[in-house]
Amino acid sequence: MTSFLQQAFNGLVSGSFYALLALGLAVIFGMLRVVNFAHGALYMLGAFGAVALADTTGLGFWWALLLVPLALALTGTLLERLLIRRLTALDPLYNFLLTFGIALVCQDLLRMKYGAHSQPYERGPFTGSMDLGLFDFPRYQVFVLAVSVTLCLAVWLLLTHTRIGTIVRAATERPELTRAFGIDTGRWVTPVFGFGVGLAALAGVLAAPMRAVNTGMGSDLIITVFAVVVIGGLGSVFGSVLAGFTIGMLQALGNLYVPVLSQTSVYLLMAVVLLVRPAGLFGKEEPA
Amino acid sequence: MILALLDKLHGRPVWIRWGLFAAGLLVALGLPWSLYPPVATDILCWGLFAVAFDLLLGHAGLLSFGHAAFWGSSAYVTGLIALHSGLPFYVAVLGGAGAAALLALPIGFLAVRRSGIYFAMVTLAFAQMVYFIANQWGDVTGGENGLQGIPRDLPGFDLSDSFVFYYAALPVVLLGLAAAWRIAHSPFGRVIAAVRDNPARARALGYPADRYKLVVFTVSAFLSGLAGGLYAVNHGFASLQEVYWTTSGKVVVMTVLGGMGTLWGSLLGAGAIVRLEDWLSTSGFEETGLVTGGVFIVVVLLFRRGVWGTLAHALRPRSGSSTPDPEPHLEHDHGDASQPVSP
Amino acid sequence: MKHRLSTVVATAAAGALLAGCGGGGPSSGGGKISDDKIVLGVLTDLSGVYADIAGPNSVQAVQMAVDDFKKKYGDKAVTQNIEVIKADHQNKPEIANTQAREMYDRKQADALFDVPTSSAALAVQTVAGQAKKLYFNTGAATTELAGKTCNPYTYEWAYDTYMLAHGTGSAVTAQGGKNWYTIYPDYAFGQDMQKKFETAITGAGGTIVAKDPTPFPSDNYSTFLLKAPRLKPKPNVLGALQAGGDLANVVKQYEQFKLKDKGIELAIGLLFDSDIKAIGADKLAGTTFTTAWFWNVDPKAQAWADRFKERTGQRPTFVQAADYSAATHYLEAAQKAGSDKAADVSKELDGTKFSDFFAHNATIRAEDHRIVHDAYLAKVKDPAKASEPGDYTERVKTIPAAEAFDKPSPDCHLS
Repeated sequence: MTSFLQQAFNGLVSGSFYALLALGLAVIFGMLRVVNFAHGALYMLGAFGAVALADTTGLGFWWALLLVPLALALTGTLLERLLIRRLTALDPLYNFLLTFGIALVCQDLLRMKYGAHSQPYERGPFTGSMDLGLFDFPRYQVFVLAVSVTLCLAVWLLLTHTRIGTIVRAATERPELTRAFGIDTGRWVTPVFGFGVGLAALAGVLAAPMRAVNTGMGSDLIITVFAVVVIGGLGSVFGSVLAGFTIGMLQALGNLYVPVLSQTSVYLLMAVVLLVRPAGLFGKEEPA
Repeated sequence: MILALLDKLHGRPVWIRWGLFAAGLLVALGLPWSLYPPVATDILCWGLFAVAFDLLLGHAGLLSFGHAAFWGSSAYVTGLIALHSGLPFYVAVLGGAGAAALLALPIGFLAVRRSGIYFAMVTLAFAQMVYFIANQWGDVTGGENGLQGIPRDLPGFDLSDSFVFYYAALPVVLLGLAAAWRIAHSPFGRVIAAVRDNPARARALGYPADRYKLVVFTVSAFLSGLAGGLYAVNHGFASLQEVYWTTSGKVVVMTVLGGMGTLWGSLLGAGAIVRLEDWLSTSGFEETGLVTGGVFIVVVLLFRRGVWGTLAHALRPRSGSSTPDPEPHLEHDHGDASQPVSP
Repeated sequence: MKHRLSTVVATAAAGALLAGCGGGGPSSGGGKISDDKIVLGVLTDLSGVYADIAGPNSVQAVQMAVDDFKKKYGDKAVTQNIEVIKADHQNKPEIANTQAREMYDRKQADALFDVPTSSAALAVQTVAGQAKKLYFNTGAATTELAGKTCNPYTYEWAYDTYMLAHGTGSAVTAQGGKNWYTIYPDYAFGQDMQKKFETAITGAGGTIVAKDPTPFPSDNYSTFLLKAPRLKPKPNVLGALQAGGDLANVVKQYEQFKLKDKGIELAIGLLFDSDIKAIGADKLAGTTFTTAWFWNVDPKAQAWADRFKERTGQRPTFVQAADYSAATHYLEAAQKAGSDKAADVSKELDGTKFSDFFAHNATIRAEDHRIVHDAYLAKVKDPAKASEPGDYTERVKTIPAAEAFDKPSPDCHLS
């Protein structure tokens, strides 16, 4: 039983990354109707940002956790202003294609600078493990989970309890109604995009001490995250986050009990969801 | 390529149409004389793949980001048939394409339940699943070592020379292209376009939209399978690369570069990308993704008609009826038709 | 008369044609250098994950072999025209296939070298068989090259999965690591390594307490790291058979779970210098692994490595050293045979015994074209003891050539 709980907890840790990425994708999608293919590349840039910051200025993990997401969020807003905005009036697929191109370019630019093999990152905090009552767990991984849960909750509170949140949520979940009320969502587009990018970058920084930092780290992850948001329902911020944590857990337990399915389970679950609730577990039914 | 031009150039003198047709045929016949033959055959394969993909994207408005699943599964099945049966390679390729179409049924059935951007994500995810299965199932697929030593059997012919093999592969590709053109311009093709442009209306008129989408998805997978099978025979093996998401991405790039919805622009796009990659791999500049990604961004931002579309648009008869499609038309996710307000 | 003249003209024309054809085709008969030129092709990964262990410096290594050969023989060299060409296969077998064909057919390459990634190497091996030209593999690890798929045109110069698994598996077990928990990536390389490790471990009197396939690729190995200390009996070695980025993930997380403190040592299947650099030598210090060579294994190696560094600014990897060794032996054999025809060169090479800076006590096995030589059981050096930034490895013991590699595979029939 303890083993099961420990494994489930481990799943929540890897779910933390899915959740942060899915959350960013969902808020961006909500405001812009854009699915950001470059989200995985931005996660990768976050991790490389931490490495580069340590290499060039010697600044450690905590500075990276603060500065890298900010810098990338800023880059994200530029990206939105300069490129993505040009295509928002068109079919959303164009922006999907555009961000795919951006992802390819980011990946190769980094490869030119760093090569394709992994980069060392030695600045991770919390080396020991801590006692969680029933079992111990590496302190750093507990920290990652705590950060992720806190951020997701904070965003949730922001969405439900502030005026900005109401607008964003309305635009996400009731787009027709928002327009009917004449609410101008336009000026929130850029900040929200930047915020989503910042979340991906933050996930990247968090990954640096516990995962291999290389140019390919984002591309496989983003495909899993796409499956996550299809399962959760991209129109629902809450659903995407919940699906992130759930699938992390499912994979960890799958690794242990049904290793054959450990990699395909996500996609099988997606197939089932598409069969019974095409809009996703928490997405609202759309007239297709 | 040629037939489409004929189509595009309605109202042009007949001799121009036939002239272009002849020119296209000459290019196809002369390609291995001017290019290294295996590369010329690669262009044929990728060209058919991109046209098959455009049948889905340009005509049905469905962006599949998982077409590698069909290209790759056919490569494997073609390889297995050729390795174990000794049948002529045409049979093996046909078998591979059939397998790709079979695989397209469940994937398509689930994917057409979502449209627009979701369709893209769902197909990408399913293709990734196919990749994982191919990787794990090493006994059959050879895992990451791939399926090696696929023969080029054809009784009475020695196809070991790549130059000869090009001409053996050409008829398959021409047939595939003709089929794609025929479908795009059949009554079925017109219903598909109607479903794309206004699914609600098409449904009201009694067309089961999802079923039409599934059929075109399967046909596209079959043609992609033809291309993938030929590719496997051309190279003598099938590898995991064939089912990886980068292959799906590559065909998207080719089609968008050539011009979505033009069908034949995809051939240009495929030729350009294959040549570019071949050139980059020997030139010492290794950042293929940087170049293709950069070109792709520019095309998406500035030349959404692609090379072919831009040319056709520039050359269109100015008088009276102009081309009906000023911009490539993609399917809208009508559930979330709202656009953000740009100040 | 008129009739006779026309016959003469016709015969002469036919003769000229035949002669022309003969000259254009690959030279028949021994004692000839085709096109009076020897072309060595390096087909490698110039920018991907293997660019550091092979890549541009493999091209340099082969060029260095050519330069040394020219200096040694001067005017007496079999030809003055020796050229090195390179191409990038991006670790994709289909690109490797096309490039290999193009190098053999169009650029007149007489032999190819390097080719990391097993799938690409297998593709090149097939092309070499069709083109009837030589290929010296130094970059790929699969034993199939000298097994099921072997052909008379391919030589395996550096290492293979048997060498890696057998060295580490039996040595660590013999040193007291009796109980193993192995985790292997669930694809051909991993499955192959797992089998070979198992044979080595049980052969040395150890036991596999448990073995688990891991997803590939994966960034979360915690499942297995959590499981390890709970196994009964508790394993004292964790055998991680992952490679590259996956390996970096395993080691980072092994560290966080503090398995070393719980008495579970780490043994690694395949470890390149680039991996040590990526993970950090301090994290890996003391970890046991097997290698074909490293640059400061002995003074002869170091002397060559110094020359290599002068040229490239970097220390060579074992793949690059093997490239130099293979290219040198190829050129020497062509010199002796006076020919660059594959069959003539092979005749010189097969069965030869030699020792050079790379391969000690080496034999070029005629049965399967595997070059057997001493391998090294090594461990990662404590960075405090390193003499320079690239000094990662120290020797634990030498594995004699006869033990380092498997016997010729029954699946391989060269003749």
